Amino acid sequence: MFFQIIFAAVFSGGLVDARKIRGISSSYKRFYRERKSFLCIDGSKIIPFEQVNDDYCDCDDGSDEPGTSACPRGRFYCTNLGFRPHYIPSSRVNDGICDCCDASDEYNSHAHCQNTCWNLGQKERAYVEVQMRTLDEGLRLKQQLIEEGVLLWREKQAQLRELQQVAEDLQIKLEEHRRRKHEADQLKEQTLKALAAGDSGLGRWNRTVSSVFQLLDSNGDGSITVDEVQAKVSFVHDEEQILSEEEAAALLGGGQRMDLIKFQHTLWEVLTKGDNVKIKDTPSSPVGEDPHLQAADKAAEWETTNLKKVEEAYDTVNMEISDLQKKLAIDYGTDWEFLFLNSQCYKLKVYEYTYTLCPFNQVLQKNTAGTEVSLGMQLNPILPL
Amino acid sequence: MAPVLLLWLAVCLSGAWAVDRGNFKTCDQSAFCKRQRALKPAESPYRALLETMELTNTKLTLQLINDNNKVRLLLELYRLQGNMTRVKINELKPLKPRYEVPDVLIREPPTEPLSLLSQDENGVVLSLGAESQRVIVSARPFRLDIMEGREVVMSLNSRGLLAFEHLRMRKDTFSYKVTSTVASVWDNIKRVFTSQTEPEVEKNEEADPANQAETAKDEDKAVDGMWEETFKSHSDSKPNGPSAVSLDFSLPGVEHVYGIPEHADDLRLKTTDNGDPYRLYNLDVFQYELYNPMALYGAVPVMLAHNTHRTTGIFWLNAAETWVDISSNTAGKTVFGKMLDYVQGSSETPQTDVRWISESGIIDVFIMLGPTPTDVFAQYASLTGTQSFPPLASLGYHQCRWNYNDQEDVRSVDAGFDEHDIPYDFIWLDIEHTDGKRYFTWDPHKFATPKEMLQGLKDKKRKMVAIVDPHIKVDSNYKIHNEIRSRDFYVKNKDGGDYEGWCWPGNAGYPDFTRADMRDWWASMFAYDQYEGTMDNLHTWNDMNEPSVFNGPEVTMHKDAMHGDWEHRDVHNIYGLYVHRATAEGLIQRSGGTERPFVLTRAFFAGSQRYGAVWTGDNAAEWDHLKISIPMCLSLGLVGISFCGADVGGFFKSPGAELLVRWYQTGAYQPFFRAHAHMDTARREPWLFGPENTALIREAVRQRYTLLPYWYQLFYQAHRTGYPVMRPLWVEYPQDPATFAVDNEFLIGKDLLVHPVTEEGARGVTAFLPGKHEVWFDVHTFQKHNGAQNLYIPVTMSSIPVFQRGGSIIPRKLRVRRSSLCMEDDPYTLYVALNVQRTAEGELYIDDGHTFNYEKKEFIHRRLSFINNSLSSVNLAPDAQFTTASWIERIVILGASKPSKVIVKTTDGQESPVEFEFDASMSVLTLRKPGMNAGEDWTVTLQ
Repeated sequence: MFFQIIFAAVFSGGLVDARKIRGISSSYKRFYRERKSFLCIDGSKIIPFEQVNDDYCDCDDGSDEPGTSACPRGRFYCTNLGFRPHYIPSSRVNDGICDCCDASDEYNSHAHCQNTCWNLGQKERAYVEVQMRTLDEGLRLKQQLIEEGVLLWREKQAQLRELQQVAEDLQIKLEEHRRRKHEADQLKEQTLKALAAGDSGLGRWNRTVSSVFQLLDSNGDGSITVDEVQAKVSFVHDEEQILSEEEAAALLGGGQRMDLIKFQHTLWEVLTKGDNVKIKDTPSSPVGEDPHLQAADKAAEWETTNLKKVEEAYDTVNMEISDLQKKLAIDYGTDWEFLFLNSQCYKLKVYEYTYTLCPFNQVLQKNTAGTEVSLGMQLNPILPL
Repeated sequence: MAPVLLLWLAVCLSGAWAVDRGNFKTCDQSAFCKRQRALKPAESPYRALLETMELTNTKLTLQLINDNNKVRLLLELYRLQGNMTRVKINELKPLKPRYEVPDVLIREPPTEPLSLLSQDENGVVLSLGAESQRVIVSARPFRLDIMEGREVVMSLNSRGLLAFEHLRMRKDTFSYKVTSTVASVWDNIKRVFTSQTEPEVEKNEEADPANQAETAKDEDKAVDGMWEETFKSHSDSKPNGPSAVSLDFSLPGVEHVYGIPEHADDLRLKTTDNGDPYRLYNLDVFQYELYNPMALYGAVPVMLAHNTHRTTGIFWLNAAETWVDISSNTAGKTVFGKMLDYVQGSSETPQTDVRWISESGIIDVFIMLGPTPTDVFAQYASLTGTQSFPPLASLGYHQCRWNYNDQEDVRSVDAGFDEHDIPYDFIWLDIEHTDGKRYFTWDPHKFATPKEMLQGLKDKKRKMVAIVDPHIKVDSNYKIHNEIRSRDFYVKNKDGGDYEGWCWPGNAGYPDFTRADMRDWWASMFAYDQYEGTMDNLHTWNDMNEPSVFNGPEVTMHKDAMHGDWEHRDVHNIYGLYVHRATAEGLIQRSGGTERPFVLTRAFFAGSQRYGAVWTGDNAAEWDHLKISIPMCLSLGLVGISFCGADVGGFFKSPGAELLVRWYQTGAYQPFFRAHAHMDTARREPWLFGPENTALIREAVRQRYTLLPYWYQLFYQAHRTGYPVMRPLWVEYPQDPATFAVDNEFLIGKDLLVHPVTEEGARGVTAFLPGKHEVWFDVHTFQKHNGAQNLYIPVTMSSIPVFQRGGSIIPRKLRVRRSSLCMEDDPYTLYVALNVQRTAEGELYIDDGHTFNYEKKEFIHRRLSFINNSLSSVNLAPDAQFTTASWIERIVILGASKPSKVIVKTTDGQESPVEFEFDASMSVLTLRKPGMNAGEDWTVTLQ
């Protein structure tokens, strides 16, 4: 039923000329086509059309009084030609205060309202122009930042690729050096083994025992005397101190002299131990270093050092790569327009505190006493921006 | 200055959220109260010397003698016009004059002749004129009984508690010895020259102060604190010694007494036998406690006594610290006990005994004999004046906060009200708006262009209140201070220098407002060319005028400070009234005498109603504080101060949304409707609690605005008659004992009954609907209920129960706008609620809303009456002239039946039909747009 009435109202009303109804927008005019009766827009009531805008509220929704203050929930449409149209509450109609710039709300009050819409419109337009200019400028700056951002992004990407290349190279080098070190270690081991094998042979052993015996036997009489021991043997801890006769004699097994056979079983063992006495002007161990072993040892050491250097370089490069990757993983906006903020820091002084805000990075608070407190990381500064 | 404030705050805040009782004296800690209270009822030592009686046309005078110390008093007894008796007792020959409170009575009360009915050696009987009223003066012991027929209405000194500490010389001082020696020498000389020792002379001799002191030696020695008193770290030098006065009153047949505000207590006063007396001593109490007799910010020494057939009043005109003891012979008896008494016929007449004790001054009592409540209101009004007629806007809603920070804050709060479509009339600025708490100035940065701000408000037809406190910063670069100092207007300390104390600005002086020349000068400071940056829409708020002295005894001024010849002790309770008065006069003067002022005060005294509004001080955001706002304002209304309100939301602490909404709903139905908040609380403008609560608060405020015509008419009535605007039920139903102790609901005028919801989470309230033959209409639903019943009403958050009395007509303006001024020309809707006789009556008062022109008969006052199916408007003031654009938009008749047709007839004799709608379910008849001008004669007839 109601729909039929609305239907009828809208379409039959179209045939009649609309009287000027105060306080409605053009989109609502269709509800106010003049005819015998008026249907409240909420459909709650039908009233005679003379009761529209007659300064008495008939409709609960206030639709019968769009142009007066009669309805508590009504609204009044300011056309505001030359400026923006808008609605005001009905309670502001004829209250002595100019609300609509076209003065249409104060048609029956003491207020003397001027139509200020044109001026307001001018101002608004001027304002909008300024806004537009600001916006343009902003867009230009943004474009610039985007371009810079893209460049920087590419630069960083290139840097990443470069680093990755270096890392690959280092990887190869590293393997090479590992191989080399391995070889050097092996050589050293073999040499050591060979030496050990030589020691167990009787010739080397005898030669060595006899050569030491010969060294001690200064006069070459085939036996070592107390004098000869005193002349050639000294304490390990003090080369200057000459052994006493008793000490020398003790080394000779208590006698005055000893032959090679006895030497091999007594003094030789003491000397090879090397922790008490030694032959003067020689290292404590009477066994001389083997030159092959020395060479192998040096080579192994060299390769270890080299390997360490390469490993360090490799680690450094990898760290840089991961840093860069982390940075590149951050959201800098769709066009990298916020990339420029990275590595920037901003300071703000609030009372006794100085705040340092580094976008995508730390936020610090420092008081006048110099105490610094980290307030955390600002990982996504884009959202608040 | 800031550190001082902080220190003070720190001291205060450290004391948890409650009053530090230890900062304030108990009776035991107040020497005179302790001394006086130690006297127990007994035979009075006072005797009336009938041979000294003199009866003139206007009064009876009579000497009283204290047989213990031979000190003589002078009793003056007046019969005042309007059924009142005044009893004045002073020393016959005081050592120096005693303080008699000036400026409270609006004039010397006109007297009526007393006639002597009989006299013998036991006493005299005087006629009080009408209705066989007599006063009997008994000689030994002295007592006064006011009788009507065979019934005693009131007795004075019936319990023998009349006490009058005569002024005396201090005995242990040099000056005493000299004086007493000289005096006795003089006596000897007199004796020599007097041929005969006349009794007169001897009596004079007895009355001689020096001799009195001698005879009263024992009294003096017995009690400490007569010549010096210390409380906490403060000492009171008491150079005049003891000076207390006390008198008891017996009220036979009375079980209910009311009044003596300000206390945070029930409407019906309690007996004080088991605790301290009610104390009257204006104090700045930080976070006051509820339900106890401690003194608060204001004092009105007026008590009303009521029973089913008579209402009387006692007005004890004394501005010194005062304590009131109440006892009752029925107190403590259970209902069953009382019933037993009745059944056994053994019951003594119920009786309430009251005793007043004041520290200094004289006894000056006005006994208002009623006999009806309205008679007592009229009698008291004839003595101290009526409520000032407030500007209409001040009955709207006030938005206050400590503090609105700057002009931008004010602008945005103002805009917030428009954005949320909530009306308001006044926005308030607390102390922070000043330049360093220098009143009459503006903070140069935050309020750099006050006129611009005021103009902005004026453009919206709104107003502002800025605070002006009476403590003046001691600062030689401050004009106000320099002027006061150069005119020597400051209160003096006991040594004669300017009294200084700590308050908001730090070190401050206190202008002596008891001086008329000081008040004139103060008033002149409100002139637009003196108080820079002000305009006619700026009004004033006097806070801290108890006076509050942060470092003084009990946070107030030392009692030995001097106001000219008088000690602060004598004038303490009236200081705040003088501040209020001088400010109100300033606002009147700045307009050339045309505009009604609006001034709010915290401290008050008898007569403060003449100068503006009061509020209940620094309450808290607690349900109990919401609840206590009802008896506190009711008590004030009973003693003439109708324009009362409590801080909506509570000053201290932050209210939850439910409490805030309930408080708005209550405050909207209390006379002074202002939201206020402490600086340390969260912001609480009405729209900060979510859209639902915003809508509830909006609705509450809008209900207030629709009722402004009724509020205004009631204030006009209060101004004319002294009847309270907000009334306890018993005032309108004086014969129904069920109403006597009700203080959880109240009446506005006699036609609206309001039952606020003061319980958290309440789903319903039980309202008492008074009147056996009344009907009451729920204003929200129009549902009709019978009177004389307890009615359970379910409640939601949307509103509190409000009822319109059947038989009343209430005018409303339903087009609620941004402010009251915007509604000036709006049409009226008349709510006609029919009683069982199908009649109703109401009034309509209209004037310009803000000037004194109503005194020149520029107003409309009409009686609206509905009888015999016909509603008519009759001119109540034919000699008055005023025109209004307002018209009658709608008439809603509650409890009506459906007419066949409705005719309106206007002055010109024109008859026209009126359209109407009838809602049969609720019996509500709505007449559509009858259209008569509100100032005209008209008749609407239902056929």
